[in-house]
Amino acid sequence: MQDVAQQAVQFIDLNLTVVLFLFIVGFIGGLVSGFIGSGGAFVLTPGMMSLGVPGAVAVASNMCHKFPKAMVGAYKRWRYGQVDLKLGLVMAASASVGVLVGIKIQEAVLAAWGQSGSNLYVSVAFVVVLVVVGGYVFYDAWKIARGGGELPVNENSLAKRLQKINLPPMLNFETAGVRISMWFTIPVGFATGMLAATIAVGGFIGVPGMIYVLGASGLVASATELVIAFVMGFGGTVKWAINGMVDIRLTLIILAGSLLGVQLGAIGTTFVKEHMIKVVMGTIMLIVAVSRGLAIPKYLKELGLISLDEGLIAGLMTASFITMCIALAIGAIIILGSMWQAKRKEKYALKESYGQV
Amino acid sequence: MPDRKKKRNSHIIKAVLYGALTAALYAAVFTHADTVLAYCSRGAWFAALPIATVFVFSFVHGAFANYLWAALGIEATKKAVQPRVAERPAPRKRPRPRLHLNT
Repeated sequence: MQDVAQQAVQFIDLNLTVVLFLFIVGFIGGLVSGFIGSGGAFVLTPGMMSLGVPGAVAVASNMCHKFPKAMVGAYKRWRYGQVDLKLGLVMAASASVGVLVGIKIQEAVLAAWGQSGSNLYVSVAFVVVLVVVGGYVFYDAWKIARGGGELPVNENSLAKRLQKINLPPMLNFETAGVRISMWFTIPVGFATGMLAATIAVGGFIGVPGMIYVLGASGLVASATELVIAFVMGFGGTVKWAINGMVDIRLTLIILAGSLLGVQLGAIGTTFVKEHMIKVVMGTIMLIVAVSRGLAIPKYLKELGLISLDEGLIAGLMTASFITMCIALAIGAIIILGSMWQAKRKEKYALKESYGQV
Repeated sequence: MPDRKKKRNSHIIKAVLYGALTAALYAAVFTHADTVLAYCSRGAWFAALPIATVFVFSFVHGAFANYLWAALGIEATKKAVQPRVAERPAPRKRPRPRLHLNT
């Protein structure tokens, strides 16, 4: 099995375009990950494939860079007191089960409808989850921003109501400031794993789940997501590396950029108001949903459900990839812009206190 | 102020040191890229090689990145993120037994 897998693997030759693309996307993906807990993978994998890297090698090399990046980001944010390690490990345990179930579903879809059916399933999952969850995250962020950035206290929120249900075993998450039944953490972790196995970005469910279902703050949820990403990324890497699919050169180039980015993103969380995490996450999720929506006609055509011109399909696929890059770039611009604004305010306040203004 | 300058100088020195170490590691791998790739993609027990490699790189390059941002003056603000204490349900008051006469 291993030999067969290896015979099929073709590692690409490196050139300047490949190196620059991986370094820059690695940096921006790292920046977004350090800030919202996940991101980057959804551009890196298709991007690498469009550069000629085989699908399995792209996924494996991407995952091999993901877990050390998450580890460095989690450590940095743990030093700022934002990581709830216990919550991360509890979530990671149920997420691992979710990944296994997600893979089984993927395999069943692939067996029943082939590669196009599988691609269609992934794209539809992307669009539905990202529009519903991303839309809500964005709406919530917009409401908070309209109120001057102050977090409203809502005693009737879903998280508060769940926390009041005394269903043993009750778990106490000190950093998150949450006391909740273990039975409510399981579905959130499970859904995170399922999404990770389907669209490779579990954080799009994990972070909103920890915020709106469990009641953690945006800061703690995004920081804790890095712990989950580390555990799942490590497990996934071991599996791919045993099959010899990791192209260590690609991994190290992405890592060169992402380790710079992830630390900058982590520092950024201490500069900005908490709702900015939701703004960035909601914006990226909605734009990525549009990007995946543009890819759906291609799979519908391959399944023979609609008929479309080949040129139009190619144009839609290019637009889909560009939109995905734009999602990441806009996320990075919002993060860097809000950091710059916060730094300027801080400088101004310092000058004012010295009486220089 | 001198303390701040001293700290910054220390960050610059560490950034240069770890930067040189990172560059050396990358040079070592990419000058022998074919050999490294061949071993790392052998699979089975050789799976430990790419995993160990990324751990080493993330320690050295991670330290470089940390000191680089600090040397550039980009550091976390003093605003500490205090962990919130989980709300425990208020203890229920037990009624005290009182003597009374049944009339």
